Amino acid sequence: MAEGVAIDTTFWGTRQGGVAALERELTRLRRAQSAHARELGRPIARASVLNLIVYADREEHARRAARSIADLALRHPSRAIVVLADRSARDGTEKRIEMHCRLPIADGARLVCYEQILVRARGDADDRLASAVIPLLVPDLPVFLWWTGTPPLGSRSFGDLLRLTDRLVVDSADFARPELTLPVIARISDEARGRFGLTDLNWTRLTPWREIATAFFDVPAWRLFLDGVTGVSVGFAVDMDGRDIHPSQALLFVGWLASRLGWRPLEALAPSEAGGLLFAIARPDGARIMVRVRPRFERGLDEGDVSGIRIKATAARQLAEFAVKRQPDPRHQTATVLLDGERRWERTMPLPSPAIVELIGEELSILGSDRTYEAALGALVELA
Amino acid sequence: MIFGGSGDLAQRKLIPALYNLALQRLLPATFSIVGTARKPLSHEEYREELHKAVAQYSRTRPLNEEVWRSFAEHLHFVTTSDDAGYEELRRTLEQLDFALGTHANRLFYLATPPPAYKAIVEAIGEHRLRGDTGWARIVVEKPFGHDRASALELNEIVHTVFREDEVFRIDHYLGKETVQNILVMRFSNGIFEPIWNRQYVDHVQITVAETIGVGERAGYYEQAGAMRDIVQNHLLQLLALVSMEPPAAFDDKAVRDEKVKVMRALRRIAGEDLSMNAVRGQYTRGFIEGTPVPGYREEPGVATDSRTDTYVALKLWVDNWRWEGIPFYVRTGKRLPKQSTEIAIQFRAAPHQLFSRDALAGLEPNALVLRIQPDEGISLRFGAKVPVQGIRIRAVNMDFDYGASFMVDAPDAYETLILDALRGDATLFTRHDEVDQQWAFVDPIIKGWASSDSAEGPALYEAGTWGPTEADALIERDGRKWRKA
Repeated sequence: MAEGVAIDTTFWGTRQGGVAALERELTRLRRAQSAHARELGRPIARASVLNLIVYADREEHARRAARSIADLALRHPSRAIVVLADRSARDGTEKRIEMHCRLPIADGARLVCYEQILVRARGDADDRLASAVIPLLVPDLPVFLWWTGTPPLGSRSFGDLLRLTDRLVVDSADFARPELTLPVIARISDEARGRFGLTDLNWTRLTPWREIATAFFDVPAWRLFLDGVTGVSVGFAVDMDGRDIHPSQALLFVGWLASRLGWRPLEALAPSEAGGLLFAIARPDGARIMVRVRPRFERGLDEGDVSGIRIKATAARQLAEFAVKRQPDPRHQTATVLLDGERRWERTMPLPSPAIVELIGEELSILGSDRTYEAALGALVELA
Repeated sequence: MIFGGSGDLAQRKLIPALYNLALQRLLPATFSIVGTARKPLSHEEYREELHKAVAQYSRTRPLNEEVWRSFAEHLHFVTTSDDAGYEELRRTLEQLDFALGTHANRLFYLATPPPAYKAIVEAIGEHRLRGDTGWARIVVEKPFGHDRASALELNEIVHTVFREDEVFRIDHYLGKETVQNILVMRFSNGIFEPIWNRQYVDHVQITVAETIGVGERAGYYEQAGAMRDIVQNHLLQLLALVSMEPPAAFDDKAVRDEKVKVMRALRRIAGEDLSMNAVRGQYTRGFIEGTPVPGYREEPGVATDSRTDTYVALKLWVDNWRWEGIPFYVRTGKRLPKQSTEIAIQFRAAPHQLFSRDALAGLEPNALVLRIQPDEGISLRFGAKVPVQGIRIRAVNMDFDYGASFMVDAPDAYETLILDALRGDATLFTRHDEVDQQWAFVDPIIKGWASSDSAEGPALYEAGTWGPTEADALIERDGRKWRKA
């Protein structure tokens, strides 16, 4: 019988026989930590501000998520329940616990603890997964569900876990076929309204690009060009062979522009010969805008990350080009404005680190839903 | 004297509690235990049986063999299957008195199934087991009766042999540290009582959730249901402690007077009010902690068309000066996803909100939660600013965890209660008028459900979920929701 991947107990902790035993073990560990801290004259806090459920179907994803949470614990002390649904193995559900304690401040003035629990589902445990997770949630705290991979709409475990959730976190950068999966996310977002919030980490990565694009048109003289956009081009990173194409982030940027500026779809998304997408979209006044989403190889970027944007527009018989480019050193962005081919303005600014920990951390501080994202997604679905 | 001395309760709770009291040197030096049951057992067999039980169920492990040996020397067993047995019991007690010089102080403990209570009390009277010189007290396990009339009848029988102040009706919930702490928290602190009323409280929720099913108790449970098993005693006790007025003193009379007073103020649910204020449920098959479990009607000993309630949710009103207009939502059930007993006082929202709707998205009303089990403690929920630019508000919990603050294990409820009974302190036991009021509240609901009008029976819920959707509707009608316990 297949046993599935062996679990590394030094990373995940020893196996516990049920929720009561697991809670007892956590209490024992807390006490031990607490006694140790008192000896050192340091107070200890069992701080929890949220429940975080992480769903992964591969151990390496679960592990990577667990490490991110460890880094997050300082900003968002939590009880983290990592659900590893390992479909290669059979029989029942088992839980492993581990409690981590880190010193957030160099002088070690305080210890903050968080609790990490692994719920490993062996075999097809779709129907019973939630019954193992519910009793582990800390009462009263908001529940975040971080689903790695594409959420399986209609699967029971996804539905059951979603019912417990205040905010669902997904990463559309992980979606292999965005033209298929972004509509799925839009459907979830529709269902979510009023019941839970939805976060796409890929959207969070776009924030600095959206900020800078907005900043262009804060200048009164350039605002006119917003109604006269003629072309948009968004570049996104691919690896050297150009095999893995993940245009979700770039598409979200287009969706965002379309939803904010009232652009309507003219034709369906079509792949261009260069591996990207080329399609036309209509301005509110009916004029055509050519949209190009093109893959580029760039060193030091994660696949799918936006590498540059270019917006062309005409107004008052002037031709303008607004461009933002990521510098070879990927920590910087340079924004340029050309009027009739002449450089009028240029600025370079730091690009915030796109580490997933930072992204999640930002999202965990929000509980409400993001209407701008929903609108961007909506515009994309109309295009697809 | 333990009647039902080799039964389940004695083995799991009473003897381990007594052993732990001995371990803490809290038992009198001249103390002996006599167990009786109908089946024949020698002293040696009895000690052997209890040795195993204590080794398995004691909260302190491993067993301290030295202490056990001396404890076991004072363990005796008498078979009481007939009058001759009771006569032997009397002789045994007299011999022990003579040998130990205990002045015949005697505590009788009824740990048998309730149907046997009557015969035992009568036998205590008939065979003059009370003794002549010392005090005599009787501890009666719950349930005390199965409705108001039978409780009254049982009371009359007990009173033929014992005065009311000699009767200790046990509800082991009252022996729990955190339940006693409700009174300490309310009445030893200055900051809670001023807001403990209709001006500041929006509503109160009490949850008694079990993950276990009916197990081997189907015979009893089929007759009782959650209403008699939990609501009539544990739940109403918690309600009384949280809603009662400050007693004049911390003694048995003053505390119980106040509890009876608040029970009297509890509005009766009957007739048409029933469907709006009470929901009963029964579990179907499902999963607990990822393990499949059978539905109630599939359990051994349960009728396949049983209408017994394994879940009850009620909306209650305490009609008095303090609580006028404030609903108390209570729920209890078996096969719920999590074992949890707690009381949550939900406060009103701030009268005027300064912050924008987006900023407030994460805010929930202030709540004070008293967790009875597991993880005994108290937590207070309030809104705090999330450390980012701008204002974002999030509900956070300030936690007091019993286990982490006082690094000792709390004594088991039975240790506390047995010791209190030995000392003669009845504060944590239920007085007759209290039991009477509890039944007076519960009876009309049970009758209403049993009447032919409510033909639909209990609403079904899947094991491992938080009860039937009807229970959600009960609270959501009022624009509120059950807490995530």
